[in-house]
Formats: sequence, C-alpha cells, structure tokens
Amino acid sequence: MADHILTPSSAFMDWHPPATPKLAASARETLTMASFAAARGKEQALREAISAAYGAVLPKSAGRVEAGGIAFVWAGPDQWLAITEHEGARDLEAELKEKLTGIASVVDQSDSRVVVRISGSRARSVLAKGVPIDLHPRAFAPGSVAITHASHVGIILWQVDDAPTYEAAMFRSYADSFAHWLFEAAAEYVSAQP
Amino acid sequence: MRIACPHCGERSLDEFLYSGDATVKRPDFAGTTAMDDFVTYTFERTNPPGPHRELWYHAAGCHAWLVVTRNVSTHAVASVELARDVALAAKSATKDSAS
Repeated sequence: MADHILTPSSAFMDWHPPATPKLAASARETLTMASFAAARGKEQALREAISAAYGAVLPKSAGRVEAGGIAFVWAGPDQWLAITEHEGARDLEAELKEKLTGIASVVDQSDSRVVVRISGSRARSVLAKGVPIDLHPRAFAPGSVAITHASHVGIILWQVDDAPTYEAAMFRSYADSFAHWLFEAAAEYVSAQP
Repeated sequence: MRIACPHCGERSLDEFLYSGDATVKRPDFAGTTAMDDFVTYTFERTNPPGPHRELWYHAAGCHAWLVVTRNVSTHAVASVELARDVALAAKSATKDSAS
C-alpha cells in the first residue's frame, strides 16, 4: 500500500490581495491557538493562574491583551482564545492544559481557525463594507474585540494598532470566502495608474 | 431593530435568532397531565400586542441566550437580560418559597 503523507496546505486557494498601498492583507497561518473556558466557579482561579504564568489580566468583556508574546482574546463569556507564533513547535494547547489543570477546559484551535491581518489607510472603510459594527475609533480602538460577521462569515475581529491594523479569526473553511469578499471590497482602492 | 447584548453591546438584528416565548415553561413530560400540558404549551399562545418577553440567541456573536422584553407593536426593546441570570433567579426564588 502506498504511504499517504499529509502535508500542510494553505487555507486560501485564491489569495490575490489588491495592489494598493492603502490596504495590506496577510494570512497568518503559522500560529498556535487554543481556546479555554473557566470551569464552573473557577473564574477567579483561572485569572490568577494566567496572571501568574504570563502576567496577563484576562479581559472581562470584549477585549484583547498581550503579554509575554501571547495575545489573549475574549471569545465569549468566560472564554478566551490564546494566540502566538508556532515558533520552535510551540504548542499552546499542551502548554495551557498543563498550567490550567482542573480550572479550565482547553481546546486546540490551531488548525480550526485562520487569522487574516488587514492594515492600511483604507482598512477601516473596507472592513466597514461587510462588518455590521461601528469601527469608528471612538467605538472600536486598539484592544477592542467583537464577535460578529463579515459578509456572513463568522469572525472574531480585533484591532491591533492605530495604523489601523485589524485581525480577523475565522473558521478555516470560510477563509476563501472571506478573502474573496475582502479583495472585492478593496478593489475600488486600486489605483488605475501603474 | 437592534438588541443590546449584555456581553457585546448593541448589535443588529441579523446577528440574532428569535427562539420563542420566554413566558412559558416546558411542562414535565412525566406528569400525569403531560398530554394536556403539552397541548397548552405548544398551541395555546395568546399573542398579545404590547410588551412581551422573548428568548433570543446571539448566534453570530457571543452565543448567549437572552430574555428580551420587547413591545411587539413598536419593536421598542425595554430590557435585555441574560437567560442564564433569569433562570438562576427563578431557581433561587423557587428554593426560597419551598423552604
């Protein structure tokens, strides 16, 4: 019998970001991600464990904090998503499971979701075409998080910096639909001149 | 119509699913009058105009179940509570009245 070798492949079959300096899009596919939810009555113990291990204060409501190279993103009531680079075969699921034994459920999300980074002077107006929340800096700023949808694709959206830079996490199998919508939405900002 | 989710803030209707009347309670299927109770529960709804308590699910958001008090004639939302809090309050009220 032939050996079957599984090789990692991109979630995006058709990745063609528009050629414009006003919008930069990149797929972050080398991440390790794990979601964790507090066990009943263990919310405080979970906060203390994360604070002791990483020096991070878990956001109580929709927000994102970064500590020790890990981003902690609010992902629903008493749930968070931990994200970092997969460098040195780092495995956040194994890491968190060891640190949170008995106080939280930890589930690997590395191959379940992809993160798309969107930045540039037109990033906000492109996103606003498909995201039904207010992205004005008064309403949504660096550190803000929203669980919502973009052109019917469920996403967790957060703002990284004032560039503005945003990141959207979505289920892998929707990544192509999201990218298709994003690049269509950005098409008007491609300048006609070479 | 917009609903102010206690977790996510005010969101558009297309993020939510309407999940029924929040004023009725599913009967005990093992009770002796279960058949009559379920007929009443399933079919005998009053559909009143004005304020009404409804269950909504924040499907495209934080996945919380909500109890929304809404005027069905004007769509004005009077209050939004977490269904979890409503259920826990009802549970502790039953406990208090039993003791």
